[in-house]
Amino acid sequence: MEWFNEMYVFVAKVFQNLGIGFVEVFKLQSMTLWGYSLSHVPFNIIMCLIGVLLGTLIGVLPGIGPVATIAMLLPVTFSLSPVAALIMLAGIYYGAQYGGSTTAILVNLPGESSSVVTCLDGYQMARQGRAGPALAVAALGSFFAGCVSTLIVAMFAPPLAEVALKFGPAEYFSLMVLGLVSAVVLAHGSLIKAISMVILGLLLGLVGTDVNSGVLRFAFGVSELADGIGFVTVAMGMFGIAEIIGNLEQKEHREVFTSKVGSLWPSKEDWKRFWAPTIRGTMLGSALGILPGGGALLASFGAYTLEKKISKYSHEFGKGAIEGVAAPESANNAGAQTSFIPLLTLGIPSNAVMALMIGAMMIQGIAPGPQVMTERPQLFWGMIASMWVGNLMLVVLNLPLIGMWIKLLTVPYRILYPSILVFMSVGVFSISNQPFDCFLMALFGLLGYVCVKLECEPAPLILGFILGPLMEENLRRAMLLSRGDPTVFVDPVAKPISFSFLLVSAVLLVIIALPALRKTRDEAFAAEEQA
Amino acid sequence: MQIKNPKDFWAGLMFFVFGAAFVVIAVGTPDFINRIWGDKLIPGYQIGSAVRMGPAYFPVVLGGLLAVLGAIIFFRSFVSHISGDAAVVKLPFNIIDLAIAAGIFVVATFAAKMLGISNDYAMLGSALILSVLAIVFRPETKALVLILASGLAFAYLLKPLGLVIASIAVVFISAYGGHEFKWKEVAILSLVLVIFSVLVFVKGLTLPFPICPDFVESCPIR
Repeated sequence: MEWFNEMYVFVAKVFQNLGIGFVEVFKLQSMTLWGYSLSHVPFNIIMCLIGVLLGTLIGVLPGIGPVATIAMLLPVTFSLSPVAALIMLAGIYYGAQYGGSTTAILVNLPGESSSVVTCLDGYQMARQGRAGPALAVAALGSFFAGCVSTLIVAMFAPPLAEVALKFGPAEYFSLMVLGLVSAVVLAHGSLIKAISMVILGLLLGLVGTDVNSGVLRFAFGVSELADGIGFVTVAMGMFGIAEIIGNLEQKEHREVFTSKVGSLWPSKEDWKRFWAPTIRGTMLGSALGILPGGGALLASFGAYTLEKKISKYSHEFGKGAIEGVAAPESANNAGAQTSFIPLLTLGIPSNAVMALMIGAMMIQGIAPGPQVMTERPQLFWGMIASMWVGNLMLVVLNLPLIGMWIKLLTVPYRILYPSILVFMSVGVFSISNQPFDCFLMALFGLLGYVCVKLECEPAPLILGFILGPLMEENLRRAMLLSRGDPTVFVDPVAKPISFSFLLVSAVLLVIIALPALRKTRDEAFAAEEQA
Repeated sequence: MQIKNPKDFWAGLMFFVFGAAFVVIAVGTPDFINRIWGDKLIPGYQIGSAVRMGPAYFPVVLGGLLAVLGAIIFFRSFVSHISGDAAVVKLPFNIIDLAIAAGIFVVATFAAKMLGISNDYAMLGSALILSVLAIVFRPETKALVLILASGLAFAYLLKPLGLVIASIAVVFISAYGGHEFKWKEVAILSLVLVIFSVLVFVKGLTLPFPICPDFVESCPIR
């Protein structure tokens, strides 16, 4: 009976913690708005709603990603409480996964990169007049995945954080190496270029005052660079500006299937076919989301491939199979949420969106890492509880609102991008009230644009950028503690954790570098691109 | 020697230059150059030791690594098996254009310093010159240059001329960089965005932005 007792305590703790979170999410606060002071405002829930609606909006609109949007909104969150800020930003990320499917199904354009595979079968279903069930299945699958992955985050985050609390600088350094290596391995295109982008990011992260010696590094006498290059500035330039320029170079082409959404409710046959893929998609998505470098994108591709292999309707894939919508849609939502686990427990971002969340935490004066959970349980659990609430709001709001989202799709890009530019400029300028930040944003926009043209992915650079100073700090501390002995990182007896992190990184790199495996990786990415 | 993969060629060169630049700035210029220059051209930072790393240690290691990787990518471009359309760099400008653009900004900054005027005017002026040059000589870079210029226009117009004019400038400049430019539509859009920005950013989020130009004595919007 002992195991039962332990299980009981574990489950009880999870619910107890979620309780703390729900209290925080539904907390009534007093606030001032436009000079009016209001009391009893459920402020956090309002921010969650704003977050998921914004997320859906940018998910629906092709050409604006969650990275640029979150970067755009970071300055807005300066004035919010940390809980409200993180709840809203998280809502944008998983909200975008819901919205992305709408565009994929109705327009055959992925509103979000993670809904690329949804286009394949979702659009075919729409062409057969079954857009309604496709949209419903995507939403229901996402909701199911959202609920399950919220529970997974709640269950696995505390034990992981406990382990992480014992990490020393050597372990942290090796963990960051592992995180960066996995990000590189999962990046598209050339491996060596991705590594170079990571290193360039690390170096750019070092610009500014060195914390140990107080020396101003790589600032060229520019006083605005004393605090380093703003994270928001880099993200907005590399993703926002570069994205807009890239979009403008392509001709606009959209064909919307608005007239025939039809009945939303899936038929009995549909229910029978989509529940199992949803569960499989959720499981796979949750697992892939935790991986460093993973997240929604990888999850949706993985789930689609798996489903295509094992489904007995595999001949229907690409011709409107409901499994081909259910599996990737539940997987991308699950992956979006479980990718918060490494962020919340280790303070290590697993993708560009999570890197932005770290930026948001730092702006709020919170050092990301395992101590967040013990020191700020309201923040930690509030954010997790908000994910469940946000998912509920999404499924309740989105299906009835689908008509409105479709209307938004018809807004031409020439209206959208000047608006985005105004918001981005305001946001970047407001960081330090200096024109120099906007200049830097333009410069990084140019760099991002050139990188895309040279087939160098910007995402690894962002990860490197956020980890640069942390890595240097931990390297210095670890070397100081070991009196300059570099073997401290690879000592299997004294530092088994650090050793295994580095071993895994090395194995990953070797595997990818092997010609045979590189070929399959290239083929996998080629298949993705065709899709 | 023939460049088989121009994408790798330029990417490798870019990484090499970045890596080498970080190393040189971190360790400083070597002695023989300092002797010719008469003073330390680039002073550099302290390397320190493995136990107590100086500010130059980590950047030198990373910069060196980046330079090596860049060199590998660079040389690989001569033996690459990828060729044809996939390897062609589809950049609408070349490296000389880029150098000219950078030159305009540098010259303008120095000119502003000599004339004793604010650097803001230098930035605005060079953005303007660059936009005109791009539209006239490199029409395919219109989108790129005008989008970047709109960001600069906002940055350097905001403090002297206020949020209203800066936002209008962003909308008009960036819209002009798009495929089609409709006067009425852009005017309405800028009006809507100005109202939104003033209400949300200045009134709602209380950002300390001026709304009107600083020569207007009493701003009608409060």
